[in-house]
Amino acid sequence: MAAYGLSKRYGSVSAVDGVDLRVEPGAVHGLIGLNGAGKTTLLRMLLGLVRPDLGEIAFFGEKPSPAAGLDGVAGYVEEPRFYPYLSGRQTLALFAALDGGDAPRVDELLALVGLDRKAADRRVGGYSTGMRQRLGLATALLGRPRLLLLDEPTTGLDPTGASELRTAVRGLAEDGVAVLMSSHDMGAVSDICSAVTILASGRVVWDGSMERLRAEAPAAEYRLETSDDAKALALSASHPGVRARADGASGLVVAAERDALDGFVLALAAEGIAVRRLAEVASSVEAMFLALTGGSTP
Amino acid sequence: MSTTNGARWSAIRAVSRFETAKLLAQWPTRLLPLVCVLAPVAFGLVLRIQSGVPADTLFGVWVHTSGFAVPLVILSFAGAWGFPIIAGIVGGDMFASEDRLGTWKTLLTRSCGREEIFLGKALTAFAYTVAMVVLLAAGSMLAGVVATGTQPLVGLTGQTVSSGNAAALTVASWGIALLPALGFTALALLISALTRSSAAGMLGPLVVALAMQLLGLFGSGDIVRTLLLSTTLDAWNGLFAAPSYTRPLAWAALISLCYITACLEGAWLSLRRRDIAGTGSEERTWGRQLRVSGVAVAVVALLGVVSNLGPTSVTATKLAHSIESTFSNLAVLQQEDLGRHVPPGSHLGNGAVCSRRGVRDTQRGPGDDWLCSIYVPSKSLSQPTEVSYDVTVKPNGCYTAEGPESFIGPLTLHRPNGQTVLNPLFRFSSCFEVAP
Repeated sequence: MAAYGLSKRYGSVSAVDGVDLRVEPGAVHGLIGLNGAGKTTLLRMLLGLVRPDLGEIAFFGEKPSPAAGLDGVAGYVEEPRFYPYLSGRQTLALFAALDGGDAPRVDELLALVGLDRKAADRRVGGYSTGMRQRLGLATALLGRPRLLLLDEPTTGLDPTGASELRTAVRGLAEDGVAVLMSSHDMGAVSDICSAVTILASGRVVWDGSMERLRAEAPAAEYRLETSDDAKALALSASHPGVRARADGASGLVVAAERDALDGFVLALAAEGIAVRRLAEVASSVEAMFLALTGGSTP
Repeated sequence: MSTTNGARWSAIRAVSRFETAKLLAQWPTRLLPLVCVLAPVAFGLVLRIQSGVPADTLFGVWVHTSGFAVPLVILSFAGAWGFPIIAGIVGGDMFASEDRLGTWKTLLTRSCGREEIFLGKALTAFAYTVAMVVLLAAGSMLAGVVATGTQPLVGLTGQTVSSGNAAALTVASWGIALLPALGFTALALLISALTRSSAAGMLGPLVVALAMQLLGLFGSGDIVRTLLLSTTLDAWNGLFAAPSYTRPLAWAALISLCYITACLEGAWLSLRRRDIAGTGSEERTWGRQLRVSGVAVAVVALLGVVSNLGPTSVTATKLAHSIESTFSNLAVLQQEDLGRHVPPGSHLGNGAVCSRRGVRDTQRGPGDDWLCSIYVPSKSLSQPTEVSYDVTVKPNGCYTAEGPESFIGPLTLHRPNGQTVLNPLFRFSSCFEVAP
């Protein structure tokens, strides 16, 4: 999939501004940005739900016709929505028939996304957000897409569900499916993405492989609470590879590679400063993301 | 991507099957077929247990005389209220439900294109409407046969229509009404697509039908009346006149097709270039509904203002000609009811003169102020006897005439076998051909 110069304005607000994007076969491509960065609008344009003001899109080397349906491309934006009076199984069977697909795949997909028989036979109106996410993925996979566009797919899923979804996405990519997956949480997708595009205020602020992102990323950030924060802050200045700043009324935010951090903690102990709490608040890629998007450490 | 016609039609059929399954999974559309069959049957049962008749409706006075009058009475009601209600239930939610449920984004990210989805939805709405009208017609015929029987029908001009002909003409009348019914469904689809509101889509056709009926009832000019979809519902009337007139059938087909085409085109234009931009648009939806409602009210107001423009086809000559024939035929029927022998082909040989009272132009226009004098030759008198009827004429050429009891007898007559029947000359309804 390739998109060139995609732009979309809503009144005076520029939702997406000149975005170039390329997703390779077999890649899991992260589309990362804070809320309101333009991720969903971009996905809507790619899925044909919204007409771009400017720019072009090509799937598999061809420009899609505005009047035609999606061929080899599937996905969803925001929380998937369905007909509340149909069961999950009926929904899948109807969409399978609509896509000219095969009904036997319904059971296979229900199993893949982790919707058991009881849940599948319940009306969708009673589904939780997580169950709708699972059904959304199953619906998207009905037509055996070669390109899958998923908008915040782990929203509403419990940790186990989110992990299962990531495993499923990884499996699809191994089968050659290109996956474009949006998220506002860099940490949640960094372990499965092979490439990322970071959006801020509708514009691409970083684009490249995950490998390059890691290489360019600054040190991870930690929150440090000690028995004497002022003294610890002063001590950090004399430690190469350690950058610290006060974080509110108490505690410090320390940016450092692991080895430098180990040395700093030992030095604190040697100075008689007790370390009361040390926790990672942003991995190196998250720190990079926050720096690029102007976000703040949680 | 579907490029060939075969693939396109295959996709449209797939969408239609999808939409049909959705309709059958929802209780209002699942209940509708049952109502279409049972409501006429209930009407038939009511007729069986009471002697009253819906005398204000065409063929209403004959519901106890011939079973074929029952489906025609129901057709008159259905045209006014039933078809808009069916259209609202079937078509009014067709597009708006996707907005209400937020499912456009699910539906439009399939392998079918927007045009195929649109056509599939429209096709489903039309097919469902046809099925409902057929069920309503079948239920009405059944109700008529069960409640009264398959006796010959008294036609609009008072002539006797044999049972076979009455059955064929009744089926034809319902068939003719299909196109206006589809016109209302297309209107429901348009309202549904424009307002994106299920409530507006479902109630809109009923409100528009009411507005059209009022315009048709109070506007005396032919121009606006002939362009109303509600007018096309009267097209079958001429089939039951003697001689029959069929020109309104072609006009009804043309007008209905124009409504269907224009409404579908409008709905498609609304959907074709629409951005499915997500939630948080309730305020915009309200604004949209207000704008659409505002435009609709303005159009109705404008039509109301111009509804009296143009000539009127209701003239004294046409009315006199129609009432003369009808009176003559019904007089024969009355004599037969009284057990008097009437030679076949008998005719009173009367004449009639009609004019309006209290208006400037006494020779034309609809109103309840017509007075028709029918001259009946008498064997005992040298001069024919004058019988005056008060006549109310509608803009569509249908009229109701009420005569003096002193000459034509009481409301009911007793047949020689003791059976009580309505006096056919006491109050009768008929129609004559008006423009176009």
